[in-house]
Amino acid sequence: MNTTPEAQAGKRPRILILDDEPIVCKRLKPAFQKAGFTVETFVDSASALARVKEAPFDIVITDLKMEGLDGLAFLAKVKELRPEAGVIVITGFATLETARESFRKGAFDFVAKPFKLKDIMDIVARLLAGREAS
Amino acid sequence: MSVLSGLRHAVTSLTRRRGQAIAFGVLFRKFRSILERNNRILELMADMGDKLGGDYVFDRQYIHAACEDLGELVFKLVSDLSVLTRRRNDELFAAVTRIQHDIGEELAGRHAFPEVGLTLALPAVSSDLSEGAGNKMAVIGDVRNILGLAAPDGFVVSGKAFLCFMAQGGLPEVVSRWLAGFDGHDQDYLERMAADVGDRILAAELPRPLSGHIQASLDILANRHKPGRLRFAVRSSAWGEDSESSFAGQYATVLNVAPDEVFAAYKEVLASAYSAQAWRYRLDRGYREHEMIMAVGVQLMVEAEASGGLYTMAPVGGEREVMVVNAAWGLGGPVVDGTGEADTFVLSRSAPYAVTSSEIAHKTRALAPGPSSGTELVPVPLELRDAPSLTLSQLERLAQAAMTLERYYKRPQDVEWSIAKDGTLYILQSRPLNLRSRLPGHAACPETATRGAEVVFAGKGQVAQRGVAVGKVFVVASDADLERFPSGAILVSHCTSPRFAKVMREAQGIITDVGSVTGHMATIAREYRVPCVVNSGLASGLLKTGDEITLDATLNAVYRGTLPELSRFELTEVEVFEDAYEYRLLRRVLKRVTPLALVDPQAENFRPASCRTYHDLTRYIHEKAVEELIDLSRKGNAYHGATPRRLATGLPLGLVMIDVDGGLAPGEGEAAMDDVRSVPMRAFIEGLTASNMWSTEPVSVDLKSFMSSFTRPFAAAGRPDTVGRNLAVISRAYANLNLRLGYHFSTIDAFISETVNDNSIYFRFLGGVTDLARRSRRARCIARILEESDFRVEVRGDLVVGRVKKLPMDLMIAKMRLLGGLAGYTRQLDVHMGCDADIKRHADAFMCGIAPVMEENREHHA
Repeated sequence: MNTTPEAQAGKRPRILILDDEPIVCKRLKPAFQKAGFTVETFVDSASALARVKEAPFDIVITDLKMEGLDGLAFLAKVKELRPEAGVIVITGFATLETARESFRKGAFDFVAKPFKLKDIMDIVARLLAGREAS
Repeated sequence: MSVLSGLRHAVTSLTRRRGQAIAFGVLFRKFRSILERNNRILELMADMGDKLGGDYVFDRQYIHAACEDLGELVFKLVSDLSVLTRRRNDELFAAVTRIQHDIGEELAGRHAFPEVGLTLALPAVSSDLSEGAGNKMAVIGDVRNILGLAAPDGFVVSGKAFLCFMAQGGLPEVVSRWLAGFDGHDQDYLERMAADVGDRILAAELPRPLSGHIQASLDILANRHKPGRLRFAVRSSAWGEDSESSFAGQYATVLNVAPDEVFAAYKEVLASAYSAQAWRYRLDRGYREHEMIMAVGVQLMVEAEASGGLYTMAPVGGEREVMVVNAAWGLGGPVVDGTGEADTFVLSRSAPYAVTSSEIAHKTRALAPGPSSGTELVPVPLELRDAPSLTLSQLERLAQAAMTLERYYKRPQDVEWSIAKDGTLYILQSRPLNLRSRLPGHAACPETATRGAEVVFAGKGQVAQRGVAVGKVFVVASDADLERFPSGAILVSHCTSPRFAKVMREAQGIITDVGSVTGHMATIAREYRVPCVVNSGLASGLLKTGDEITLDATLNAVYRGTLPELSRFELTEVEVFEDAYEYRLLRRVLKRVTPLALVDPQAENFRPASCRTYHDLTRYIHEKAVEELIDLSRKGNAYHGATPRRLATGLPLGLVMIDVDGGLAPGEGEAAMDDVRSVPMRAFIEGLTASNMWSTEPVSVDLKSFMSSFTRPFAAAGRPDTVGRNLAVISRAYANLNLRLGYHFSTIDAFISETVNDNSIYFRFLGGVTDLARRSRRARCIARILEESDFRVEVRGDLVVGRVKKLPMDLMIAKMRLLGGLAGYTRQLDVHMGCDADIKRHADAFMCGIAPVMEENREHHA
């Protein structure tokens, strides 16, 4: 999962990506690795949640519509376990309703799929910059 | 999207004024709805095409949703036409249903297309057919048909043929019975099972349809190659072979096969799939039995002078970035399996691929075709034993071909090749090198690679094709520059041009200042998978020929200098985007969506049964809708108050106007210019006539040269009644125009009144029938003219859409005059678009000619 050298892991921001479509993980992982992140990806919410319980993440990117624990519930759990983590919601079924609900549960941003790689990288950069400032 | 905001005004005023005219109002509303859907379909198709560039992250759900939206839009389009024409349009509904069904099957993972036969001719094979042709032969198809490299001619006995052969012999049942008793480990059992299945395959007869197809394919080959003594190489091409699991050496290749031995060789290759060793290999890698599909390639033998293998990237000593070639005289078997003496050449990975070291072996024996069939080892003549088996120029050609393969597949490649006695370099096989296992501890660490590197620019423009390119810049300003384009360079240019196709195989990457991701050049870049950023706005100003740069077209940044770490990271990515299932799925689906075959309404194939794609249907329906509205209104009485009248102009415009509310002065018969009271319509006609844009008389010296072509009558004037199938539905403040001029198709929808906020003009132009380069230039010329006149412009290939809104009446009138001039001007414009420089020249000439027309006679409308 984590293919980056352990030695550098301390300095790198840690990011967890959860999407039940493997293609999303496959596309995002190398992009974030390239930008200097330690990336872990999951295609089911149960194992993603187990991992969040184990280890802290700076950023969590999650899909909404999934089998089992859905994205909104996962978002709530993450915020409960790791209030400091910035959560970005990505979904192919974007509605005003789900967007509002995501923000209410503490999401940093809400992105409709398909999105440009650059857009999500910008959002993550914004999230990290905001954190450093505060 | 409410493009056509004038509808409300036109229809409501119409119905308010005259109750009996509702019928026309309803039909006109249908017509408008067809136009609106038409636009949405074109835009949605373009959006889907965008996703292939690599800029977007999309998933399967997106593909499903987009296909569903598109299918629904097209279905409704047909329904609208049915209401408009009051016909059932069974054929159109059948065409929509057929396309929807095929797309649905594709989405469900059942391949409705391409329809794979028992054999496939190599010219028809590509990666898109990898399930029918097997991986190895699908690659050979790309090599020949996309990358323009040589591969021996031949055909593929498909995966479907394999299933047919196995089924006839009852072999799947035999295999199942054996497997039922297998614990997965017992080696003795595995060997007995393998021997039994293998024997049965060798003993079975080929099903008659299969032997017929193979014989026919052999005959076709024989015809093409003037048979003296044809001999074939029969090669395995199984599912998964030469992919992530290489299956290297697991399956059989039978060389120098005589025509009457092809059936036996075919069975031999099939049987090799069930050797104990191959079976074990599959089991260890988790392949399911139903994934065992063996296609087989039958290709002409190469009369090889020298052959061997090549790694485009190999670990040699401390150097990591080298290419290694192994070569020997004759056929390549002993080189590839490591049993023979071979020369070793180490080459640089960048052009001109200098040889950094070479080791010439003492080569005593070479593999050669046997006298009748098979192969044998023969002694090498004394004078050749210690001579290099490749010349420097052959090495360079080989390296160039190999890098073309690496660039295309976005992975280092392991290439097998032969150089024939006539000097032709043949690619026999190419498969990805798994660098992760070969370079342990060399895992790329990309952010250290870019740390400290000078960023030339980042985040400018759009990614048309993702990937990383490292190389020297070559700035292209003219067609002549393309002739001098060096292999492996990064093309930098102000504009995009489909002419870049010429150098696409040599280009490492492409960066342009202008252009769009859906333009023709971008489409071609994707076809060749050349990393490409368009519309950067500034590349040609910052980069000059000879600059060494690294283009990261995945994160869209350009660095000064070479950053090999970055390219290594890309080359060792777990999965190549272009190999992802979703990418291939979208590509396959789009084949049922975007290609347009129905371009000429006068052509034989312009009928519902010929519609193969949604684009075809959309084009057909638009044409029919316009015709219908003209015919409807011609019938006169049925639509009170909406009697069509022809506009009398000196031009062969053949424009019919349907006035729904005060667009024309009262009267009957032909309407004169002065009868036109519709503000936008009148401005359009004035632009068209006053500007002399359609005139036979020279307007100025500059214009003279291209005006000459406008003297030609309608290009498509087949039948007299088709001349002037041009329609305008108008009211005092509104005009909806549908114009087919030559082969071009324009739609204008305009509302112009004193109420500034209601004012809008929508203009859409769709291209004609010349070559890609001219069409694209014409689109860019029109876009340029519109942009200079403050339209909001989108260009997608041939399609140009311009919008302008909420300007005061006099400015809106000026815009309509511009469009009038443009309609006349662009009729044959592509004929004159010989080179890129013509775009600006024609745009400038037009602006110069139209400027006075846009200003004059404003009092008419005051």
